[in-house]
Amino acid sequence: MSKLVLKFESSILKEVAVGQQEVSIGRSPDNGIVIDNPAISSYHARVFHEDGRLMLQDFGSLNGTFVNGQRVKMVTLKPGDSVGIGKHTIVVTDSVEVRAHSLDNVAAKPAVPKINETVMLDTKDRREFLRQVAAVGESAQPAPGRMKLPTLVVLNGSTDRKEYTLTDKLTVVGKSAMATVKLKGWFKPKAAAQINRREDDSYYIGPADKVPSVNGTPITHPTKLASGDVIEVAGVELEFVVRD
Amino acid sequence: MEVGVRSDTGRVRENNEDSFRLAPELNLFVLSDGMGGLESGERASRLATETIVAHCRDAQADATLAVFGKHIEGVNDVSNRLASAIRLANQEIFQAAQDLGGKGGMGATIVAARFLEDRACIAHVGDSRAYLFRDEQLNQLTEDHSFVAEQVRRGIITLEQAGRSRMQNVLTRALGVEQNVDVEVTEELLREGDTYLLCSDGLFRELSEPQIAGVLLEATGAQEAADSLVEHANHAGGGDNITAIVLRYAPKTAGAMSKIGRWFKASEDPS
Repeated sequence: MSKLVLKFESSILKEVAVGQQEVSIGRSPDNGIVIDNPAISSYHARVFHEDGRLMLQDFGSLNGTFVNGQRVKMVTLKPGDSVGIGKHTIVVTDSVEVRAHSLDNVAAKPAVPKINETVMLDTKDRREFLRQVAAVGESAQPAPGRMKLPTLVVLNGSTDRKEYTLTDKLTVVGKSAMATVKLKGWFKPKAAAQINRREDDSYYIGPADKVPSVNGTPITHPTKLASGDVIEVAGVELEFVVRD
Repeated sequence: MEVGVRSDTGRVRENNEDSFRLAPELNLFVLSDGMGGLESGERASRLATETIVAHCRDAQADATLAVFGKHIEGVNDVSNRLASAIRLANQEIFQAAQDLGGKGGMGATIVAARFLEDRACIAHVGDSRAYLFRDEQLNQLTEDHSFVAEQVRRGIITLEQAGRSRMQNVLTRALGVEQNVDVEVTEELLREGDTYLLCSDGLFRELSEPQIAGVLLEATGAQEAADSLVEHANHAGGGDNITAIVLRYAPKTAGAMSKIGRWFKASEDPS
């Protein structure tokens, strides 16, 4: 039987089996999968069986439904598909082995503190909370040996190296003493562009002294980089590549 | 770096358990919110800020000074030094708490910012925050080590629910509670016109992000901004101690001469 596994970042929040009954997804509490987030429509989408196939239909939601990154209206789902709704992900699986983790029971536990006094979570409760958090984290770990190495490959322009593996929280492209991608030549800015690594290990490029462009589009606000993106800034051209 | 700071007891508490230290010669600014009540809270936050500045000052004088705790990958030596200083502060407070019998709930939060070259190094433990105000947008740079923040992060509750939660005062990490502490560090680009804000929860629990952004936009100087933030928070209730450190980096409109100066310097050094 197919199952839908609701995830937020690396945590599994809920699992729902899809039987004869369709499963609706939305913000409203009467949905089969409730996602209480302003980015989700009240009745956002549904998953149902038709002619032996598992189907997903978006109810014309404002922010859309994405399957493996593509915005969809109506598609056939297969095991392993990843459905993106807002910041949540629903993974389609036909396995019955995935265990559900719920943090709700820990959440209710610690005593309410005295009036507005800042306190530490009681040691016993904290251990239990952290243990459960760790358990969720472990089960969501990708298989070992699949380390992804994001790299900037210099396509054009004068820099101190031909390739840079991105491992830092902040990568600066410029002439600054602390810049990772060091630009050579006169009149180059101290910091032409910045790339930030976020907690989920995604990479965002943003403007600094210059407005960089990604695939020809000027970037004025931090924008997520995808493998294959070509960055142009201050006379250099860099390809962002994520290697397995 | 233009610096403004204001710390206030608020309108409900009787003592101010927040502490701050400014060390402009190190480009280092730290803020701590003590807990444990009465003298314990004040003592914890003071120990935190003093220990951190002292350790960074010692390291400045002697670069071979040992780094306390494990090296954090992905951030530079200055960020690692900051983490080292905070771990040391943790031990100081932990020891002080043990000396008091270890039952008083003595502890402290910390947020520290140090600027060098092209970047800001930010380290924190607990729910004191660092914000960056750039291009009229306010961005929270630190993630609270609090129970509700963890719930939001895991998608269990929404931000809005977190704002109403009765669990808001519960921290998942603080200085002085255990022998060792995990310090979170991050780095941000430093650009002309940037304003960095360090504050205790007494500020952001009273004022929304748009309100904070509005004050930072209107104020003409860093000190005026810090004063105005604290006054607004007091006006909104002042339920807790309020501390704000406002750091403004060379506003774009000023400093034309320094720009020319820098241009000459750059020309002399065409590396």
